[in-house]
Amino acid sequence: MYASCIKSIIILLLFSTIVIAQDKKKTVKDTLIYKQKYGLRLGADISKLARTFFDDDYTGVEIMGDYRLTKRIYLAGELGNEEYTLENEVLSNTTKGSYFKGGIDLNFYKNWLDMENMIYVGFRGGASTFIQTLNNYSIYNVYNQYWNEQFNVEEGTEFSGLTAIWAEIIVGIKAELFNNFYAGINAQLKGLITETAPDNFENLYIPGFNRTYDSGRFGVGFGFNLSYLVPIFKKDKVVVQEKEEE
Amino acid sequence: MKKLKFIILFLLVVLISCERDDICAETTPTTPRLLVEFYDVNEQEDLKPVTRLTAYGEGLADNPTNDNTEGTLIYNTNSTSLELPLIIGNEGEITTSRFILEKDTNLRLDENVNTNSNIDVVEIAYETEFVYVSRACGYKSIFKNIQLSFDTSDDGAWISGIELIDTVEIVENENTVHVRILH
Repeated sequence: MYASCIKSIIILLLFSTIVIAQDKKKTVKDTLIYKQKYGLRLGADISKLARTFFDDDYTGVEIMGDYRLTKRIYLAGELGNEEYTLENEVLSNTTKGSYFKGGIDLNFYKNWLDMENMIYVGFRGGASTFIQTLNNYSIYNVYNQYWNEQFNVEEGTEFSGLTAIWAEIIVGIKAELFNNFYAGINAQLKGLITETAPDNFENLYIPGFNRTYDSGRFGVGFGFNLSYLVPIFKKDKVVVQEKEEE
Repeated sequence: MKKLKFIILFLLVVLISCERDDICAETTPTTPRLLVEFYDVNEQEDLKPVTRLTAYGEGLADNPTNDNTEGTLIYNTNSTSLELPLIIGNEGEITTSRFILEKDTNLRLDENVNTNSNIDVVEIAYETEFVYVSRACGYKSIFKNIQLSFDTSDDGAWISGIELIDTVEIVENENTVHVRILH
């Protein structure tokens, strides 16, 4: 698993080249000032609501907020609750719990004029507390057809008091659709730092972290959110435009 | 911006290339069989093949013939070893699996009515314990507190002893042989 990851990353590195070209012309400077809104942006993840509606095995809600600290840096966080049932040929497991993620977003997008859109990279620390219920499972035995029996355990087992902590990198965009109203999409790469795993079982799904993988401590996620900016104060944005001399 | 593009690509590559652990691989050790080897009762360190052995779970076959070997684990073969799949029962309860071991099967099959095969029954009593393997394989069963015995349904038993190998307390994998049968 790791080998294939590393291989693809090396290929990626080989193909990412940087080309820089610049023209030099005589210019004069022209200064413009725009008012920039600073405040608290609050929203919810619409993808989780949609999944709740369409997927019988999933119920989830996430609210998110960010607060603009400087021109480029935002304090950001998410709070959520999820319930997910994994069902396959050998077991059925329900995970239920809440999570919190906090960190910062860095806006890399140079906005035109008075626009306030974001293309950002975010860093988060995440924590979750949850309960897993192993609803039923079967004993995997490649020779069980010999005695013509398949042994199933139907009584559920509850594992409570489970926790997990992880770190996360987010890449996303947020665009102002109309006045103070934003839509955004993002993708998340997570790395599990620590977890309390149940005895004789494992955490198959962690709220906020999403499903775990046998191959490592990484997880992925994505989000689609709608948010509203509550403006608290305004700051001047000074734009120095360079014009060509005539 | 260039850094950002790189991170987006990185995320995509990771998403695409690292997945697929929801199929239980055949190489994953799951519920083990009980591995048996046949030793010479006089030279207890030496393997001794059982002539023309036929083995099956009790009730799964009845005097199998060349035309119908269904249900047999091994049929009419000289053999020094045997793999027995055990019945899985409730955890913490005693479960019993019984196997028919027929020696000299060829003597039953041939035309001569004066000679016959020798049938012994091996009984294995044990408790199961279920151990988590993975999301794709679920749980496996291991076997503890194993009690072994044999008896015979005809004149004489060809088996003279059956014992658990000293180092085996729990049957949890197929890496070692678990049981010796002396004959």
